[in-house]
Amino acid sequence: MNTSYQYSYTNIEELLEILVEKGFIAPATEQQHATVIGRRQVQSSDLAFVTVAPEAARHLILDLRDRFGFTHLVLLTAVDYIEEGKFLLTYLLHNYELHHDIGVQVPIGREAAEAGASMESIHDLWAQAGTYQRELKEMFGIDFPGSPRVDEPFILEGWDEVPPMRREFDTKQYSETTYFPRPGRSTNDPADYMRQKLYPKE
Amino acid sequence: MSLKDILSPLTVWRRTAEKPYTVIDPINDRPGAARYRGFHKNDMEACIGCGTCETICQNAAIDLVPVEGIETTNGDSGLRPQIDYGRCCWCALCVDICTTSSLTMSNEYIWVDTDPEVFRFVPGAENKPWDNSELGYSRAEGYQLLDPERVEMPELEPDTRLTSFIEMVQGYSAEQAKKEADRCVECGICMAACPAHMDIPGYIKAIRENDINGGLALMYQTNPFPASCGRICTHRCEEVCAINHTGDPIAIRWLKRYIADMADESDYQAITKTAEPERTEKVAIIGAGPGGLSAAYYLRLLGYQVTVFEAQPHGGGMLRYGIPEYRLPYDQLDKDIDLVASLGVEIKYNTRINGLKESNGPKESDGPGSDGGPAPSFEQLYQDYDAVFFSTGLPDPYTLGIQGEDHPRVISGISILEDVTAGKTPDLRKSVAVVGGGNVAMDAARTARRMGCEVTVLYRRREVDMPADEEEITEAKEEGVKFITQAIPVRIEDKPEAKGEQAAFVWGEAEMVDQGEDRRPKPVLQEDKIHTDLFDTVVPAIGQGSSLDFIPEDMAAKIGIIKYKIKVGLHGETGEPKIFAGGDISNRLKDAISAIADGHRAAKGIDRYLRENQSKKETS
Repeated sequence: MNTSYQYSYTNIEELLEILVEKGFIAPATEQQHATVIGRRQVQSSDLAFVTVAPEAARHLILDLRDRFGFTHLVLLTAVDYIEEGKFLLTYLLHNYELHHDIGVQVPIGREAAEAGASMESIHDLWAQAGTYQRELKEMFGIDFPGSPRVDEPFILEGWDEVPPMRREFDTKQYSETTYFPRPGRSTNDPADYMRQKLYPKE
Repeated sequence: MSLKDILSPLTVWRRTAEKPYTVIDPINDRPGAARYRGFHKNDMEACIGCGTCETICQNAAIDLVPVEGIETTNGDSGLRPQIDYGRCCWCALCVDICTTSSLTMSNEYIWVDTDPEVFRFVPGAENKPWDNSELGYSRAEGYQLLDPERVEMPELEPDTRLTSFIEMVQGYSAEQAKKEADRCVECGICMAACPAHMDIPGYIKAIRENDINGGLALMYQTNPFPASCGRICTHRCEEVCAINHTGDPIAIRWLKRYIADMADESDYQAITKTAEPERTEKVAIIGAGPGGLSAAYYLRLLGYQVTVFEAQPHGGGMLRYGIPEYRLPYDQLDKDIDLVASLGVEIKYNTRINGLKESNGPKESDGPGSDGGPAPSFEQLYQDYDAVFFSTGLPDPYTLGIQGEDHPRVISGISILEDVTAGKTPDLRKSVAVVGGGNVAMDAARTARRMGCEVTVLYRRREVDMPADEEEITEAKEEGVKFITQAIPVRIEDKPEAKGEQAAFVWGEAEMVDQGEDRRPKPVLQEDKIHTDLFDTVVPAIGQGSSLDFIPEDMAAKIGIIKYKIKVGLHGETGEPKIFAGGDISNRLKDAISAIADGHRAAKGIDRYLRENQSKKETS
């Protein structure tokens, strides 16, 4: 039993019920698509995901940290849902006492206004979030205004292309124009090869 | 310098006496996690070299290369993926998409070498330490990037089917066809299996792109019978389909039909325009079946003057007279034939080449040519035309070779089918025994069911040995046809009380006797297990032979006809340079698509022969 925080709960389902009461997520039970706001999904007895609007995300994350015992930011990452014009951020938080994880998922516009995709920073909640945010800026072009050194190169030096984790980035084309082809490579089309081998004269 | 900076080295010194926090982990023992994505493994026997891994690879790290000891065979390109680890990003998409599940990854990731060339190799072909590693990445059970399930084809229910000869397979809607086309990985393994080598990935792609005309044009490059083949093709392509290894094969035949169904007549005209100039040489074609008309189509496209001679009142050959309307409606066959005729191919119906022995077919096929004059003889065609192609098929039913077969209640399967096509009602009465296990036997049985008969099929071997298409057997069963397998006909008797109105069919149970490896077991009659059953009609349908009596003996010898069989070259060449042949009389598979391919190749052979002739004339 967790007693050291304002909201005590024992299992993930119970946690989600409290989040419903507090109005963070919808009481929906049927499984929905990950980018739908209000969606909740219990993956296992110690892992759940909830999807919330960008405006509500910081409030929820702070509550989870300070009132529910999710003191550890495991990771912050993004998925490009290019067809929907969205990035889906995932803040994975861990509760050390109960060993529960909760993923807070936040859909943000891919190209919000002219500035591009942007999200409120949480570097003041966890210092290491600044590093994640710098990485997301470089790899996806998601901006976190106010985050320390967010505009400095993270691992790509002198990158002047589309951020490489965005799905419109053409990996193959990039490698073809950037790197020299290794000599000695050749390939065969199966249908053509079978024609040469099995019915060359027909 | 602060006080802390001076003191902290002392705290470090204090720790030297404590147990270390770090653990010793030798550099040479760091196994990857159980499902780590390390160097690839490939099961060389299971891999078919379809190249889907190469296509999906985002980094162009994979090439398909020949490998020593791997043969190119039907259904296997003989190529295997070679991976360039200078480009591989270990994403495992190649493993996830692999059509045969042959490609996996070991959890081995450490390999140091000073030669960069060694990091490009064919997994499975060169012994690597990880080839037998149990751990590593493979596609998880139930995880499929490819859709293993075929879009179901709407069909009439068996009860409805029995009430008429309406086509039972109803065809895909646009949505269904696109969904089915989406399952294709465009590997092209199927093209070698198709006797006509149709560009199957090409026309399936056309469906995805909603380019019906483009698809139709592609089909006509190798097959002028798309509406017919889209219904009754033996679809050898589907047997070797890459998707068939872990799911249902793509419904290639139904997709072909979809294009033919969607294209309207004006599309048909547009796609077959030819830029070839007219040529003066005349070519005679005997038989307006798929072989003859295919030759006619491609010769006409090359500019030749083509005349087709057909004994029956309509074209299509066995497609019309051997396949019932519920499998191939006549208007669909006519659509294919009309296009060939519209190009300026003259088809003379009711024109049996003189001397051609009468088949069991409709009698009106006898007599003069359609222009009122007498039908020409084979020799006349040989004299009057620059080249002759004959594709007269197998019209004569084999007899059972048993006593009493001349009983009045014995009617051959093929003649029943011919009668129904000609609009006649065969005299079948109530109880019918069909003898045989091929498609003609199934079609005769199912036709009899539609005429209200009780039908029993008797076949001398087991059901698995039946040469009929599996779907024909299944559908016959659905329609209430009874099957007795391992039943050998013994004789047909006339019961005196039946007065020739019923036949007593005597048959015996067969025992399958093993004939050793690679040979199918032989049915042997068990003398003590003989049955006699009364039937209103006994229908032999055990195959057909050729009817080549229209060819005079001296000519037959020149062509190379031996015992009703004829051997032809790749392009239909016979022993006589001016004469070409193809279709069921000469090929092994004896199906429509093989005849179509024969006709196409013969057209190329005839074209080459006539051009060579022309250049000879010009030089002399």
